[in-house]
Amino acid sequence: MTQSSNYYHDKITLRLVQFSVIWAVLAMTAGVYISAELVWPTIDFGQFWLSFGRLRPLHTNGVIFGFGVSALMATAFYSVQRTSHVPLFAPRLAWFCCYAWQLIVLLGGLSLLAGWNSSKEYAELEWPFDIAIAIVWVCFGIVFFGTIATRKIKPIYISNWFYGALIIVIAMLHIVNSLAMPVSIDKSYSLYAGAQDAVVQWWYGHNAVGFLLTGGFLGMIYYFLPKHAERPIWSYRLSVVAFWAFVYSYIWAGPHHLHYNSIPEWVQSLGMAMSVILLAPSWATMINGIMTVSTAWEKLRSDPALKFIVLSLAFYGLATFEGPMMSIRSVNVISHFTDWTIGHVHSGALGWNAMVTYGTFYFMIPRLVDRELYSVRLANIHFWLALAGTMLYVMAMWAAGVSQGLLWLSVDQIGELSFDFKDIMASMTPYYLLRLVAGLIFLGGTVLMAYNLYMTVRGRETARVTVPAVDPAYGVGA
Amino acid sequence: MSSKIDSYLLIRALYQPLNAFEQLSRVDPSPAGVMFRYSLWLVILPPLFSLIGASNFGWRLGAAEPLRMTLGSLLIVSAGYLLVLLFGLVSTAIISRWMATTYGANTSIGRHMALMTIVGAPLAFASVAHLFPDVFINVLVLIPTMIWSMYLLYKGIPIALEIPPERGMLMASSLVGWLLVAAVSLLGISMALWTMGFGPLLGV
Repeated sequence: MTQSSNYYHDKITLRLVQFSVIWAVLAMTAGVYISAELVWPTIDFGQFWLSFGRLRPLHTNGVIFGFGVSALMATAFYSVQRTSHVPLFAPRLAWFCCYAWQLIVLLGGLSLLAGWNSSKEYAELEWPFDIAIAIVWVCFGIVFFGTIATRKIKPIYISNWFYGALIIVIAMLHIVNSLAMPVSIDKSYSLYAGAQDAVVQWWYGHNAVGFLLTGGFLGMIYYFLPKHAERPIWSYRLSVVAFWAFVYSYIWAGPHHLHYNSIPEWVQSLGMAMSVILLAPSWATMINGIMTVSTAWEKLRSDPALKFIVLSLAFYGLATFEGPMMSIRSVNVISHFTDWTIGHVHSGALGWNAMVTYGTFYFMIPRLVDRELYSVRLANIHFWLALAGTMLYVMAMWAAGVSQGLLWLSVDQIGELSFDFKDIMASMTPYYLLRLVAGLIFLGGTVLMAYNLYMTVRGRETARVTVPAVDPAYGVGA
Repeated sequence: MSSKIDSYLLIRALYQPLNAFEQLSRVDPSPAGVMFRYSLWLVILPPLFSLIGASNFGWRLGAAEPLRMTLGSLLIVSAGYLLVLLFGLVSTAIISRWMATTYGANTSIGRHMALMTIVGAPLAFASVAHLFPDVFINVLVLIPTMIWSMYLLYKGIPIALEIPPERGMLMASSLVGWLLVAAVSLLGISMALWTMGFGPLLGV
């Protein structure tokens, strides 16, 4: 082994975190802008690229693929080296993944602004991007599994199982759902017709939530939470049981997005039943996390990052309870198509995904550059802004969603609708204004973090971390 | 240790909350005493205000016409509201006491009841907004109050239950998790009941 390969490849991690933070600020700004458009619809100024229909997929793709996937790649590369006691396999390929992914997000975002859109939610990018994503994703898999294959530690730590599931399942979902017949560079038609297309789309859509926004981030929490807390996970056995239960039950849940649609009723019922079952592995993980941190409370004194992780677990608990409940058909008949769904998604996206990522960044960046965090005070302010923003967002959307569900379906004594759809939607302005304020508060916190991390990293090189010696009891071949 | 709480504790909790929590940490009240002397009177306020408001004006959900219900169904709804609030208060106090062993906090159930009453008091008083049964006015008044109550929960737990602030932060976050789940359950249960034909007339 050469001398240089005795160090972890952490420069890639740092670069990916920097891109992730940039995408977070840009994509959340797009989110705030479209929430303002729902209050003042004319602020698109007649420009197509500023219209809600184009900015909305830019917001979701930017957050999920720009902010989320960059953070997942960064943390996967960081943790797989440390749990395997080897440097990254094929570091050049890892650099390719890093930059090629950013290019896809950038050009993909521009293509959405130009109006290219496959009309599949969370898979809006057109076929040239789909092919590019598949190639980069397979490279990501080669780097990750190659590192695991060359590991020096015999057991494969639980976080790697979650990251591994993320890579395999997302590859499968993305390739199957994106199969299409191109008619021009910017337009293609899905290989599936009608209701089948809808079922494939939501099999993809819900499992993108499941394996990317849940599974991937669970990998993050299983590595970084014990690191923060400086003690092992409360029950390792529970984490393994929860992993397999999670993988098995999530993949069935997609049809709950299509309740009361033109798909067979038994498929809807199956999707509902599996969604309800999903509560068990989700909460097993939440309890495992909370119990791990509950004995490490004294760490909170010095570590602002841990607060984000603790709160992210509370919101994870909320979102994974709310989801199964909303999948029950008698609840869904009222909640479907209302803003309650938007509130639910954001209790997960802001409260869980963003918070756990912020906590991880505050932990990881000072270690990557071997310097104290620039300002603990700013991180604490960020924590309260993130909490207030999320709560306000969720509450505003709950109120709006329940009002919509109730008013849309209200009938009078002779069975005619009591309220006009247009009037109901016009009356939503105050809630949308509250949501705009919530988004601004949350974005403000993210900007504070970006500044804090920038000041921490400024003028510093990535610290070189030597691969430690392997304890013979755990080594490969032991 | 005294078993009585000062009668003005609830009022003091509104303008000097930290002082009120300090005082609470010096007493071990009986749960029944807390319930009948303080909690019950506060818990009655929201359903009462809602009954008066809705019977006089009807709920404005944003649409032109307010949603009106007969006095009979309003009484049932208000009674249900009261029961839900009572259940919420008592179950939160019990869960808080159950969590106390994990976080090494004081386990006197009366103190947990009193703590939850103080934390919920601003919400009970702010429910005066129910006298104006317009959803948006209520949201506007109750959301900031809720954030204030959350602040009280985070501040109050370590002082009143005598644990370090860091441990209190963990316990408060766990309780926030429970409260969020309880709130969303309430939404889900209401919707399922509406679908089944209880409450407002829906075309489902």
